[in-house]
Amino acid sequence: MSKLTTGSFSIEDLESVQITINNIVGAAKEAAEEKAKELEKAGPTLFPGLESYRDDWNFKLLDRYEPVITPMCDQCCYCTYGPCDLSGNKRGACGIDMLGHNGREFFLRVITGTACHAAHGRHLLDHLIETFGEDLPLNLGQSNVLTPNITISTGLSPKNLGEIKPAMEFVEEQLTQLLATVHAGQESAEIDYDSKALFSGSLDHVGMEISDVVQVAAYDFPKADPEAPLIEIGMGTIDKSKPFLCVIGHNVGGVTYMMDYMEEHDLTDKMEIAGLCCTAIDLSRYKEADRRPPYAKVIGSMSKELKVIRSGMPDVIVVDEQCVRGDIVPEAQKLKIPVIASNAKIMYGLPNRTDANVDDVVEELKSGAIPGCVMLDYDKLGELCIRLTMEMGPIRDAEGITAIPTDEEFADWVAKCADCGACMIACPEELDIPEAMGFAKEGDFSYLEELHDQCIGCRRCEQVCKKEIPILNIIEKVAQKQIAEEKGWMRAGRGQVSDAEIRAEGLNLVMGTTPGIIAIIGCPNYAEGTKDVYYIAEEFLKRNFIVVTTGCGAMDIGMFKDEDGKTLYERFPGGFECGGLVNIGSCVSNAHITGAAEKVAAIFAQRTLEGNLAEISDYILNRVGACGLAWGAFSQKASSIGTGCNILGIPAVLGPHSSKYRRALIAKTYEEDKWKVYDARNGQEMPIPPAPEFLLTTAETWQEAIPMMAKACIRPSDNSMGRSIKLTHWMELHKKYLGKDPEDWWKFVRNEADLPLAKREALLKELESKHGWEIDWKKKKIISGPKIKFDVSAQPTNLKRLCKEA
Amino acid sequence: MVDTAKNTKLFTSYGVSTSKTVTPEIAAKLISKAKRPLLMVGTLTLDPELLDRVVKISKTANIPIAATGSSLASLADKDVDAEYINAHMLGFYLTDPNWPGLDGNGNYDTVIVLGFKKFYINQVLSAAKNFSNLKTIAIERGYIQNATMSFGNLSKADHYAALDELIDLL
Repeated sequence: MSKLTTGSFSIEDLESVQITINNIVGAAKEAAEEKAKELEKAGPTLFPGLESYRDDWNFKLLDRYEPVITPMCDQCCYCTYGPCDLSGNKRGACGIDMLGHNGREFFLRVITGTACHAAHGRHLLDHLIETFGEDLPLNLGQSNVLTPNITISTGLSPKNLGEIKPAMEFVEEQLTQLLATVHAGQESAEIDYDSKALFSGSLDHVGMEISDVVQVAAYDFPKADPEAPLIEIGMGTIDKSKPFLCVIGHNVGGVTYMMDYMEEHDLTDKMEIAGLCCTAIDLSRYKEADRRPPYAKVIGSMSKELKVIRSGMPDVIVVDEQCVRGDIVPEAQKLKIPVIASNAKIMYGLPNRTDANVDDVVEELKSGAIPGCVMLDYDKLGELCIRLTMEMGPIRDAEGITAIPTDEEFADWVAKCADCGACMIACPEELDIPEAMGFAKEGDFSYLEELHDQCIGCRRCEQVCKKEIPILNIIEKVAQKQIAEEKGWMRAGRGQVSDAEIRAEGLNLVMGTTPGIIAIIGCPNYAEGTKDVYYIAEEFLKRNFIVVTTGCGAMDIGMFKDEDGKTLYERFPGGFECGGLVNIGSCVSNAHITGAAEKVAAIFAQRTLEGNLAEISDYILNRVGACGLAWGAFSQKASSIGTGCNILGIPAVLGPHSSKYRRALIAKTYEEDKWKVYDARNGQEMPIPPAPEFLLTTAETWQEAIPMMAKACIRPSDNSMGRSIKLTHWMELHKKYLGKDPEDWWKFVRNEADLPLAKREALLKELESKHGWEIDWKKKKIISGPKIKFDVSAQPTNLKRLCKEA
Repeated sequence: MVDTAKNTKLFTSYGVSTSKTVTPEIAAKLISKAKRPLLMVGTLTLDPELLDRVVKISKTANIPIAATGSSLASLADKDVDAEYINAHMLGFYLTDPNWPGLDGNGNYDTVIVLGFKKFYINQVLSAAKNFSNLKTIAIERGYIQNATMSFGNLSKADHYAALDELIDLL
């Protein structure tokens, strides 16, 4: 049995009988492992397990970037021994301490996020193989390196859908092993939970990569296309005169059938299809090659879900998986909006009508006999949703259903407010709703209007209001003009960065002449509203950084315009180039961001990808100036995406809410022992500047985040021109947003050529007067002072085994 | 005298340990007695009313300021001893007895926090609460569970009045 591989065979004696074996459990992986062993240059970690990266790489990272544990709760409520009070790092009844428990809490979030992406990938892979067959080629654009994350983990380079299966099985197997460690009485050391979290993060990027490459290949999404079309975005883009089908979630599989049905039945201009979160982004990528209608619109992120439903605009809502609110059915029911659950991961307790006749289901839903249903048959789903939308539109119009309060209702509710302050204490954003209500009572609605963008639509305020005021509706009522004007553009997700782009840009990145890559990725839990990410993106684009983006971040960047009425997507090119704004795609497209960094190491620097995570990560950490920003990160998927970046040596700044992830990775800049690497040429230790000084931390405001990210793009191996350019940006941004030059800029200076050109003389004077460095003023050269030396040929590495004499 | 020792309702951190509420009088005494205090200031101090009181506390009690977030921008021209540091980083360093501090003279024994969103400072302080002996005093408008001591939830006017009382008693 074990000698069989995947495929089909026939038994000769049984004439006309063919036995087809689609998959032999374990055989595909076994074959893949055999194939991987044949790789001449493979690294040491093909098909890694829980322990594979631990000592050789993860512990090296965690030694410098120490886990900072900030518990959310003093107690552990995980098993029936408890609840246990762990405050002050006490140990609970099972023996685990506060550090270990919180390491487990963070790890649990990372594996949950990993599982979400991997399960999404499995769903799509199986569905697409069933629909298109295993031989469908992975045509992803101008690339030879199609799947860098898969290759790093498994050594494989799949060329069609079928060849992806071993990588999928690998992720699933390791996820099972990882989940098992969370059981009470298993792993208890915080540092090992962190190592496992890092491993899980690496798996997450494999799962995401699988999800995106299969949909790009099968659904004709843009293929590494810098010219991917502009897509309408915002609540104001919906034509309210047409029936409106609203799609919510992250899995585009089922929804493509709706778009096909619309097209086949000539309904593309008779109704609207738009959505929230990544399904909407991926719908806008569907069949982009020939760019034919229907053109799906993107409304926005999860924070808009309740606002859109409360607006009463949708005639039918379809949900699939991930980032879908739990109260959509009761909220939609109030406004006679049927809800269709199209994915087994979210079924909402609704009746399953998968086996029913579509005509019957339409009648059931139209009459309101059931509030919604589960429909897992995609062919029926496509027909059901479109027909139902076309029928519900006129019905709901005729009934005059609207959720926006009248002026009289609005005035009554505002007058009811007793200024008790409970809403403000309950609000996750700590919005001063009582103050805004107070001004509204006096006829000034501007304070309430300001809350619209800051409000994340969670309705915690309404839950605690003793007067039962529908506060969310109040805010949306005064923001109607603002909502109507929410019309922007985002570039449809373009897919991975091509090999050609890496070749063209790799040198600039490694040398530092392109100051860095800023990766702005999703989630809408911003402390001050959506415009923060726009400001951050604009600042870096104007400074010629490459800004890559995905998911909700990509959406929010497109919601705002400059004084000429142009969005950033219209102002900046879509290529992976200096000053490019590169919308890679939805959440799962984040794998292409890490993939781009990996490709710099593989294509530009000729490093082996196969089974070689530590060496690739080491290269990125020391040479590739990239920094992530997950400004509104709230979900478990965000924690796994970020942790996957961290293991690869890419630091990330998160918004203030992300402190609730309970864990950061911060280095002690004052401990000199932490800032040494080996020179791979001879194995000697070489001091480096504290760069980057964190792998994961939070910033309080977007103004603080900007200089932090610019600083995090500094890398030990910058050449002098690169260091000078990076210091220029960081110091200028620090002064611009924090009011003063940074205190520690001198730690990054190795010689006079590292100094920002425009301020060189003034900085030399400061080095002399403040830090006692010796300067030759005739030659304007630094004679002595720097603790770190510049050697253009040095090869900084954290891996002793890469050194020549090792 | 503003009653700052009531209304400790919270929607941020959870668990069995809660900070002790303090009056401005007790807070002032604790701050005055601290051997090596640090005033940790967040970005909400961009509010001029709060900024004015931050400057007065720092000058009256001669306390250096750790200006986190983007608060340094408003403090740069106020003639106070203020230095920028990221709040999360500071929260971590405060748990390390070997941290040389912002001035190189060693770690601090008392940290007074002002100008933060509750959810953020509660998380930052939870490291110090669980993994150090640092004393933290929150003189915020909201009740900060993970501080050693804190004002309760206050109205904006009461908060300003409580800070004024504290400044008078320093």
